[in-house]
Amino acid sequence: MTQILSKKHQQETQTNMELDKKPSRAKTLASGLVPFVFVIILMIYIFGPGSELLDFGVPLPEVTIEMVDFVDSEIHTTVRNTGSIPVEIVMADVNDRIQPAAVEPDRFLERYETALVRIPFEWNEAEPYRIGITIEDGTRFEKEIEAAAPRLEPSLELIGFFAIIGTYVGIIPVMIGLMWLPFIRRLSKNKYHFFMALTVGLLLFLGIDSIEEALEASTENLASSFNGVLLVATVTILSFLGLYYSSEKLIQRVKDSPYAKPVAIALMISIGIGLHNFGEGLAIGAAIGLGQVALSTFLIVGFALHNTTEGLAIASPLAKEKKSVIGKLAAMGMIAGAPAILGAWLGGFMYSPFSAVIFLSIGAGAIFQVIIVIMKWLREENKNSFSSASIVSGIAAGMLVMYLTSIFV
Amino acid sequence: MKRTSTMKQFSLNSRSIMIFSLIVVAAISSIFFVFPETIKAQSEEKVFVTHTGGIVKTTGEIIDPLYVESTMEFDPMEYLRDFDYGKTSPLPDGTTLREYTIIAEDDKIMEVSPGVFYNVWTFNGSVPGPTIRATEGDTVRVNFINNGSKQHTMHFHGIHPAEMDGVFESVGAEGGRFTYEFVAGPAGVHPYHCHVMPLEEHIVHGLYGVFIVDPKEGRAPADEMVMVLNGLDTDFDTENNFYAANTIPFYYQHHPIQINTGELIRIYVVNMVEFDPINNFHLHGNLYKYYPTGTDLVPSFYTDMITLSQTERGIMEFEYQYPGKYLFHAHKVEFSEKGWIGIFLVSDDDSDSEQETPTGDTNEYGT
Repeated sequence: MTQILSKKHQQETQTNMELDKKPSRAKTLASGLVPFVFVIILMIYIFGPGSELLDFGVPLPEVTIEMVDFVDSEIHTTVRNTGSIPVEIVMADVNDRIQPAAVEPDRFLERYETALVRIPFEWNEAEPYRIGITIEDGTRFEKEIEAAAPRLEPSLELIGFFAIIGTYVGIIPVMIGLMWLPFIRRLSKNKYHFFMALTVGLLLFLGIDSIEEALEASTENLASSFNGVLLVATVTILSFLGLYYSSEKLIQRVKDSPYAKPVAIALMISIGIGLHNFGEGLAIGAAIGLGQVALSTFLIVGFALHNTTEGLAIASPLAKEKKSVIGKLAAMGMIAGAPAILGAWLGGFMYSPFSAVIFLSIGAGAIFQVIIVIMKWLREENKNSFSSASIVSGIAAGMLVMYLTSIFV
Repeated sequence: MKRTSTMKQFSLNSRSIMIFSLIVVAAISSIFFVFPETIKAQSEEKVFVTHTGGIVKTTGEIIDPLYVESTMEFDPMEYLRDFDYGKTSPLPDGTTLREYTIIAEDDKIMEVSPGVFYNVWTFNGSVPGPTIRATEGDTVRVNFINNGSKQHTMHFHGIHPAEMDGVFESVGAEGGRFTYEFVAGPAGVHPYHCHVMPLEEHIVHGLYGVFIVDPKEGRAPADEMVMVLNGLDTDFDTENNFYAANTIPFYYQHHPIQINTGELIRIYVVNMVEFDPINNFHLHGNLYKYYPTGTDLVPSFYTDMITLSQTERGIMEFEYQYPGKYLFHAHKVEFSEKGWIGIFLVSDDDSDSEQETPTGDTNEYGT
């Protein structure tokens, strides 16, 4: 049945193509616009005056408490109307006890509009709080905070602190990983393939990790109306397509130089990892900022260990580059590692769940793009096949190494 | 240097740049779309005082059921001392007949707390319904009209024939009628409420009120008031969002009940809170004599704290020696912080020049 349909469809498209062989621009434009006109007519019919089509069912109001900040003697709550109808914020409570509060700019929220609810409250550090918001029909929405921690105010000291964390987590481990370059250079072709496959495994893990973190951030802090899973999927695929297209163009451009291709691949990898580390930095900064975790040296060690493997991923494609690559390596190490600092700043001082999800998804798309590039290269090198012991064991080892080091995080 | 050359190769490709910039623009614009408030202008500053006395400035609006004045359809101050003695006529046997008309409705949307609108089910348009008052031995005749969209009844606590119990004789919606007739007794304070299934739904929406039966010999003259301790589950999760004495949360805190030193205060208190197993009543700066259910003329307790289960009720009597502001509230602090709290404003008013009307009402029944 579907075959017949698709055949018919093909025929139709063919005839259309034939018809369109000599179209006037105006006709093309008109034929393209006709469906839009009907969509508009449909909208007018549904939403227009006198239409009672939408009177069925009960639209339920919904607000989402996106952020809770603990500041000096006040709890600041960012509330967004994530339902399909306008709402009015009428009451705030802390731990289910009614508190007076101020709503800025005002208590009326249109769809997707946000307001800041300031609740004067002498909160205690490290204690859990449940913040409630009641709207005009008496429905109460709640957000639970595991441990109250003062909101981080940007100060030189804190900026430095986050920069140091970012350096420990991003730059230093990546740079250490890059030091494997001389070692990889001395390897035979097969062993080299193993290390490239290992890179694929590492990246595969990182990509899945990014998506998992993005999904986690979206389920925890984004309203269901943002369709968190689909948002992550869309941004990941868009980022993948964008980078895939531009990297192909880049590789085509540098084809004349025989050693440029590995450099391009390494650059792609470092950009992908850079985006991932930006997301990681956001997560670390936000976690400290939101008081969700106490930052322990153990966590830093875990991240550092974990990210050392990222340096290896960048170093591997550069192994066949005979010229001195120290400058390039340092630059790529910075591209891959430094965004962790930026992420930590952003996450710590102005965390927004929406941007966290977006950046993590862009990172995931970038990483998958790099995987495709390396896989393609490996396949070409290996006579159009992946079925070599070095590749299979390399990918497996990459995944395992990442999993084992991730346990420390 | 080498890095910049690679970058140059990047920038040479206009298409990839286009796609890159498209993604960047989309990402940035979506962030602005999500945070429109950052673009909004600032407005005039307001100041408000917190419950603990802190002063907060805001450019926005103040939401506070305690300090924000709101015109309520239901006036708890009026309800407090309002007693419905019915239309009296003598019966052939020399006793008194008291006739009441009670109309049930279930479509009213009432502002129960500033900004919070809730569908209340009412007897005579209010929650609680009117306080029906009779003397022991009077014949009470209630002409009940159900103007609601569901079946409703009136079930009185007290002594009466089975067919007057308002349980098995559901009164039909949209104008159904029933006449409840029985002899008032025993003396005390009793609740009445709708007894149609699902019972919880009918009670928590507000179909209840107080039925006071005065003893034949009467009680000492006093400033008398009725307090129905109730809760409102505005989001239907079987947990009360608000608690109150007489429906409106925090009402008697920002409208203190004015009483006089040395004057006997008598409170008919009925606990109609659902969902929570107990409620209680704590009085500041004083103790009260407590008559459980009001059936005995001798107080059982002299205390400042009583615990009340569902529909448990009684009569409290006290006098204030010193003028000033005294809180009364649930000592289950959750309830008081959700509205079940009030203030007695006691004035040093020894002169009896200004007599309150309720005392007059009681005089009618006092000996």
